[in-house]
Amino acid sequence: MNKNKEQLLNKRYKAEQRFRLYGLSAIFMALLFLTIFIFKIFSTGYSAFQKTWLIVPVTFDAELMMLDQNPSKEDLQDADYYDIALKSMADLDPNANEDQENELKRMVSYFFEKEIKNELLNDPNLIGKTKEVYLTASDDLDQVFKGNYPRDLPEDQRRVSDYQLKIFDQLVSNGKVESKFNISFFTNADSREAELAGIASSFMGSIFSILVCLMIAFPVAVLAAIYLEEFAPKNRFTDFIEVNINNLAAVPSIVFGLLGLGVLLAIFHLPRSTPLVGGITLSLMTLPTIIIAARASLKAVPPSIREAALAMGASRMQTTMHHTVPLSMPGTLSGTIIGLAQALGETAPLILIGMVAFVNTIPGSPMDPAASLPVQIYIWAESAERGFVEKVSACIMVLLGFLIIMNLFAQIIRHKFEKKWS
Amino acid sequence: MIKIKAKDVDVFYGKKQALFNISLDIEENQVTALIGPSGCGKSTFLRCLNRMNDVIDICSVKGEILINDFNINDKSCDVVRLREKIGMVFQKPNPFPKTLYENVSYGPTIHGMAQSKQEMDEIVETSLKKAALWEEVKDRLHEPGTGLSGGQQQRLCIARAISVRPEVILMDEPCSALDPIATAQIEELIDELKKEHTIIIVTHSMAQAARVSQNTGFFHLGQLIEHGSTDKIFKNPDNKKTQDYITGRFG
Repeated sequence: MNKNKEQLLNKRYKAEQRFRLYGLSAIFMALLFLTIFIFKIFSTGYSAFQKTWLIVPVTFDAELMMLDQNPSKEDLQDADYYDIALKSMADLDPNANEDQENELKRMVSYFFEKEIKNELLNDPNLIGKTKEVYLTASDDLDQVFKGNYPRDLPEDQRRVSDYQLKIFDQLVSNGKVESKFNISFFTNADSREAELAGIASSFMGSIFSILVCLMIAFPVAVLAAIYLEEFAPKNRFTDFIEVNINNLAAVPSIVFGLLGLGVLLAIFHLPRSTPLVGGITLSLMTLPTIIIAARASLKAVPPSIREAALAMGASRMQTTMHHTVPLSMPGTLSGTIIGLAQALGETAPLILIGMVAFVNTIPGSPMDPAASLPVQIYIWAESAERGFVEKVSACIMVLLGFLIIMNLFAQIIRHKFEKKWS
Repeated sequence: MIKIKAKDVDVFYGKKQALFNISLDIEENQVTALIGPSGCGKSTFLRCLNRMNDVIDICSVKGEILINDFNINDKSCDVVRLREKIGMVFQKPNPFPKTLYENVSYGPTIHGMAQSKQEMDEIVETSLKKAALWEEVKDRLHEPGTGLSGGQQQRLCIARAISVRPEVILMDEPCSALDPIATAQIEELIDELKKEHTIIIVTHSMAQAARVSQNTGFFHLGQLIEHGSTDKIFKNPDNKKTQDYITGRFG
């Protein structure tokens, strides 16, 4: 008998130990996946925050720019910079033939003419002088400089020619190639050229979408939750509504995209590809999430508080507005933020309502066409150029950072304000 | 003088009848204790008196309850007005998660009883003084009410209830969550409060009923078995069941 008891006890301890082991290995697995994921994103993405510049001497030849003596500001604006830009690139190799000159031109971004123009606009005294100007390197050379480009491929399979590599290596050894923090990644809109593409448009698009989503979903959801929880009689009809709200939360997001396409664009003719339509579509998706969170936190307010207020002669409305709703707000808000974070990462419905279009302007309002961060990731991931690979990872990093900040905020609200009084 | 007159009150939770034909008169400016075993309907009856049962969807009340000769079960009765006149203290202290000051000033604020900040300060002070809490909390009126001890919280709830100067105070086992010292303080307070208010207290403790009340009603299985002066109920009850309960043979 006693021996049996001993065995049983041992068995119980062993079972607990095994259970702990399972738990630990589950956590280990989760952390491992997370680490691999983050490592992969960071190792491919970090280089996108650096941008390669070629330092090229430019001679601001008034004649080539078709400028008179003492040009006015307008003249400088309208002047022709293409020739001096071409010439300064061709001058990198005095012996270059016409083909090679063309290749030299393609070592920098097509934006180089503008960069030279800005240099002169900043300092009009440069006319007739020579100055070393920073020009954005082409995305392929950018990748070469970052070591991401396989130089040992046969030349006909490379986008960078041997000749370009030779000149580039000369520039590198002369210290005429520099890597700087990539500001334009944050200030530029999307571009077909990887070296110029930035996230400004999709970032603003995401912000506007989320704001529209918040402004629609939050008030509607909170009012619905308050009514259902505090005022609605409990009967079949409200049960039916409750079941359907829960169903709504489980509807695949692409269905909401179709709804946005079919109703907002086809019937109401709202402007296509805009954060306005995107936000409304996302708000349909976020609505049930917020309703469920708000109802849960209203339910969590102890009934004794309601009784206390009612017994003091407060009306139902006063009880709700003075006590129940303020007490439920932290939970509601953190639920809202988590709902918005979900909406922020949503891609499928936005693709359907046309926010996948190529937008190379930064939206100034929710009525302007824009992309959004997850859609931007999708667009870039589809692009063939090697320069977009790191951009995809960098954009994911920005999106993740955004999401982490939002979730952190939700946590802080929950902990700080929920504990305050109890 | 009779303050509250209940006539043939029946209460149903859905189809289940919880109270049968209760008729009870409650004397003004006295303490009436309602005793009986758990589930006998004494709290249900108490909650009829300020229509708190309205909150429960499936609960329906029949019969007449006259307060100042006005039937509160009548359709014309406004529950907000009614509850202003009839305060309630609950079993578990339930201060609002707000400051002490806000707790006490809430009633007067929603009923518009103070014209100025000064008047409100006075109401808060007198209410807290009457609840014998003023000396302990006068320096921390703007701290959360939930930070007080259990007994202090319950006195805060009493202060909150009397802040609107109700004619009747209903107390639903106000001491069941408190230790003996806090209980003694509350009992002392009840004795003081009956000068200005009519008090009805539900209690599980027969000793407490004997100490604080002048009248007692004994409930059993939804029926009012016996009621009368506390003296009589405890010393010389008419009904055998009352006798058994008082002497601890069941319940």
